[in-house]
Amino acid sequence: MNYYLTYIIVAVGLFSFSALFALFGVYAERKLSAFIQDRLGPTETGKFGSLQTFADIVKLVQKELITPAAADKLLFIMAPFIIFIAVYLGFAALPWAPGIVPSKINLGLYYIFAIISMETLGILMAGWGSNNKYSILGAMRSAAQIISYEIPAGFAIIAVVMIAQTLNLQDIGLQQGILSSEKAKFLGFYDVSHVGGILAWNIFRAPHLIVAFVIYFIASLAESNRAPFDIPEAESELVSGFHTEYSGLRFAFIFLAEYSMMFLVSMLGVILFLGAWNTPLPNIGPVQLANWTTGAAWGIFWVATKSLTLVGIQMWIRWTLPRLRVDQLMTLCWKVLAPLAFLCMLISGVWRIWLM
Amino acid sequence: MSIVQVLFYIMAFIVIGSALFVAATKNLVRSIFMFFITLFALAGLYVLALADFVAITQVVIYVGGILVLILFAFMLSGRETLSILQQQKSKLVNVGKSPALLLATLFFVVMIYVVLKTDADNLIWVKQSITNKTAIKPNDLVTDNIGINLMTRYLLPFEAISVLLMIALVGAAHLSRKEVKE
Repeated sequence: MNYYLTYIIVAVGLFSFSALFALFGVYAERKLSAFIQDRLGPTETGKFGSLQTFADIVKLVQKELITPAAADKLLFIMAPFIIFIAVYLGFAALPWAPGIVPSKINLGLYYIFAIISMETLGILMAGWGSNNKYSILGAMRSAAQIISYEIPAGFAIIAVVMIAQTLNLQDIGLQQGILSSEKAKFLGFYDVSHVGGILAWNIFRAPHLIVAFVIYFIASLAESNRAPFDIPEAESELVSGFHTEYSGLRFAFIFLAEYSMMFLVSMLGVILFLGAWNTPLPNIGPVQLANWTTGAAWGIFWVATKSLTLVGIQMWIRWTLPRLRVDQLMTLCWKVLAPLAFLCMLISGVWRIWLM
Repeated sequence: MSIVQVLFYIMAFIVIGSALFVAATKNLVRSIFMFFITLFALAGLYVLALADFVAITQVVIYVGGILVLILFAFMLSGRETLSILQQQKSKLVNVGKSPALLLATLFFVVMIYVVLKTDADNLIWVKQSITNKTAIKPNDLVTDNIGINLMTRYLLPFEAISVLLMIALVGAAHLSRKEVKE
């Protein structure tokens, strides 16, 4: 019975983590956008405006839950929860440190890929349920975009899987550091099994994975509907796309899902390409930096730091680049990213056979 | 009853109940979303049968691909067309439906026959694989097994399917292309 208790504790822990992260993420985003646009951002609530998002949440909880009269009530009410649950379920397979993973499934990567595709369905549900032209347009744009960008993302991921030879995220993480049981080669030539650190990360074990990582990162921006791929929400043309009609707590759930998704895709990128929970510090002769900075607590620290850095870059890109047009979006996906991702997959196969 | 059995019955109930709803409801969009629940519960049943790879593939292909495409077709067709579709005659039995009804009844009979004929607890091939120790255990790697078999024993069907899909893709691209008028 203790078994089930642990499961519940882990699930509640992950939920509170994603909620806390959303609170922190919104604040960070507002401060970062303020910095980029040469403003101050929130300053009044708490020291440096740090209580601003708590105040926002309190405001959202108090708000009335408005359901449009012509909406499909059931779909309208269920959509935000489906969107959030789709993202939240994805966290179950992500490893945090050596030996610490909520669910040890050997198909972890594939599972996350499947679960993320459920989010599209929730978005379409929200768009249709709202019975609003803007919402439907936003939902359709979102679905088209997510389906298209799943292809380059999928092939970039397959490029990693061909190098790693496993779908188990914990194993993929394990291979990229000093705890690995097989040989890790920097650029395919130098044996760095006992040096570890940044040299054993996937992007340096096989340098074409740097291209794959960039493809994955761009596609992950599109899958979480972030600028410059935010045409589903496009404030200036569609009001706010599929969540125009939502208010109060339901809107909060959609927001929570967006920020959780940002963290989820960043963490997945870190695990696949940037060494998972492994330290970036290599062993240099007698200075055993990698040995000193590997462990359960260090693992959580490194994976969180790397993921938060990627989230930061996502925010930076959002406030720097203008939005892409629909045709530019599709051109980028099908004519640039997809062929490049295919090429990466091909190189991965050759690399695995000849150099590893 | 063990927890596995309880889970099995819960999921089987969800599958059948939601499938009935899909077939019976008049609200077409809701029936599609209900179909999503059917597929998800079915994926759960696959997991119980130790076919986790099949379960996830089912979610990827049906939920992530086919359901979304069906919804796409819906949203592009507009409410007026849909409301005409929904105003069909509601009688379960009428003359126009007799071929469908016949097929459904025959298929149902076949299914009942299969259920009654199969002695699911004493299947010969299951017993054989248990005595030969080739049965899959909960901790075995099913994915590797599928991959190796696809590339060796079932290579020809696998390639045939891929050619078929390729033909379908080329056909779809041809149909959707605009004719160049001179």
